[in-house]
Amino acid sequence: MSWSVLDEEGFSRCCRLLVQQSQSLRDGWSWEPGQGSAEGYLRKTTLRTAAFTSRPEREPEGSGAAPEQHTAPGRAEEPSQSDLAAPAASGDADDLTGAEDDGADEDDWVCRAPAESSSRVLQYEYHVLYSCSYSVPVLYFRAFTLEGRSLSLDEVWSCVPPQYRARLQQSPWNTITQQEHPLLGQPFFLVHPCRTDELMRPVMQAAQQQLRWVNYVVTWLSMVGPLVGLEMPLSYAALSPQSPTATAAEQEPSEA
Amino acid sequence: MADDKDVLRDVWFGRIPTCFTLHQDEVTEREAEPFYLLLPRVSYLTLVTDKVKKHFLKVMKAEDVEEMWFEYEGTPLKWHYPIGVLFDLHASNTALPWSITVHFKDFPERDLLHCPSNSVIEAHFMSSIKEADALKHKSQVINDMQKKDHKQLWMGLQNDKFDQFWAMNRKLMEYPTEEGGFRYIPFRIYQTMSDRPFIQKLFRPVSSEGHAHTLGDLLKEMYPAAIPHDDEVKRLQVVIHGIEPLLDTPLQWLSEHLSHPDNFLHICVIPAPTD
Repeated sequence: MSWSVLDEEGFSRCCRLLVQQSQSLRDGWSWEPGQGSAEGYLRKTTLRTAAFTSRPEREPEGSGAAPEQHTAPGRAEEPSQSDLAAPAASGDADDLTGAEDDGADEDDWVCRAPAESSSRVLQYEYHVLYSCSYSVPVLYFRAFTLEGRSLSLDEVWSCVPPQYRARLQQSPWNTITQQEHPLLGQPFFLVHPCRTDELMRPVMQAAQQQLRWVNYVVTWLSMVGPLVGLEMPLSYAALSPQSPTATAAEQEPSEA
Repeated sequence: MADDKDVLRDVWFGRIPTCFTLHQDEVTEREAEPFYLLLPRVSYLTLVTDKVKKHFLKVMKAEDVEEMWFEYEGTPLKWHYPIGVLFDLHASNTALPWSITVHFKDFPERDLLHCPSNSVIEAHFMSSIKEADALKHKSQVINDMQKKDHKQLWMGLQNDKFDQFWAMNRKLMEYPTEEGGFRYIPFRIYQTMSDRPFIQKLFRPVSSEGHAHTLGDLLKEMYPAAIPHDDEVKRLQVVIHGIEPLLDTPLQWLSEHLSHPDNFLHICVIPAPTD
């Protein structure tokens, strides 16, 4: 069993620390307890200016299976090298913290606009839950226009930065899908967790070799968040406790 | 290893007689007759209702038609739950046929996932199988399969081919004999009495002392109210595939034989009939 596995207790510990740090940074993360159980989730809402391809009707023809619906939209429009503030994707552990921008304000973060799109203010709601099946955190989110209409999967895709989109389109269902929120029972989008462990293992191992404690949830969010417009300011890394009570080695899974 | 093939067949070929009626607010050019269908318990509503859609589209104008969705007595039906789970959860102990209302407008965005095509159902189905195998075998079996093997599981379900599906699914049901079962049992306990849609946690098929956990052991830990006390009238029923299994049934056996094709054991806890 890999020591880098995050158990449920480790998850809530990471979340508690993140919320503490968020309070001093005032960037809006809170812990929401689940109904009648010990489980809960991290929550944050934010306004974001985004240019997206508006498509209010999913099925204007009513014929049901509109074939383009299950591929990501806009794959034709090639991303011109963009001016995005989002960090470049990298599986290299060394780049993971370095790639973070200077804590860019979300409001400065703008989706690449396809020609026919319009710039809108959107409300994004992010939830971080623990998946006991994969022993990893999972990012759920949903997005609304200011009129309260929820964005479709296509519209959410059109807000993914182009440099990520090209890569994710190889296998769109492994990345962003619509699924039921396991605690609320409502439709949310999520970034699929089945690759998270693979992504995080080198980071956690590198940290352990350097006898350095890393907040799993913060580090993971800083990698996965930018895909869907969520930035983790670099200050989270700076605020990390140097000698925390919880060490990486303690993150052993407790077998239920 | 699954060796009780009759049980697997009975589960696979379970059907629910259903009557589909168009919602009264839908605009039609002439009267819409109800449509009757035998629904496979182990499949998904949006996968087996092409005929229903065609039937109602005949009396509707294209501009009045948006994404089709289903409702039972005011509750939108989640297509991503297996049909049998929806029936057991919402319509157990009611008269057959099951009466489902069909809608083509006012899609309930806050309740239902969109299902624009069968590939969305396939993705959902495969993601459940993957999650189940993460629990059972740390994903080793599903990752060792090839893409065409994954496809075989899906095609087996989509085309209702029991043998095709089980030729591959049996691999997902294997475990080392010395361990007496899977690493964890993939299960979900559904209830209608709470906003929380289901309970899903880690639970082993064998106790630390080495004896087999039963359905009762699982409920005792996850949902103690579902187990009646000796002198108490039974208030809740524990239903899997329309039956109430004995609480002392070994959980590993249930997982191998009464799981849905998505490899999860779906358990419904519903109010007992009061008659």
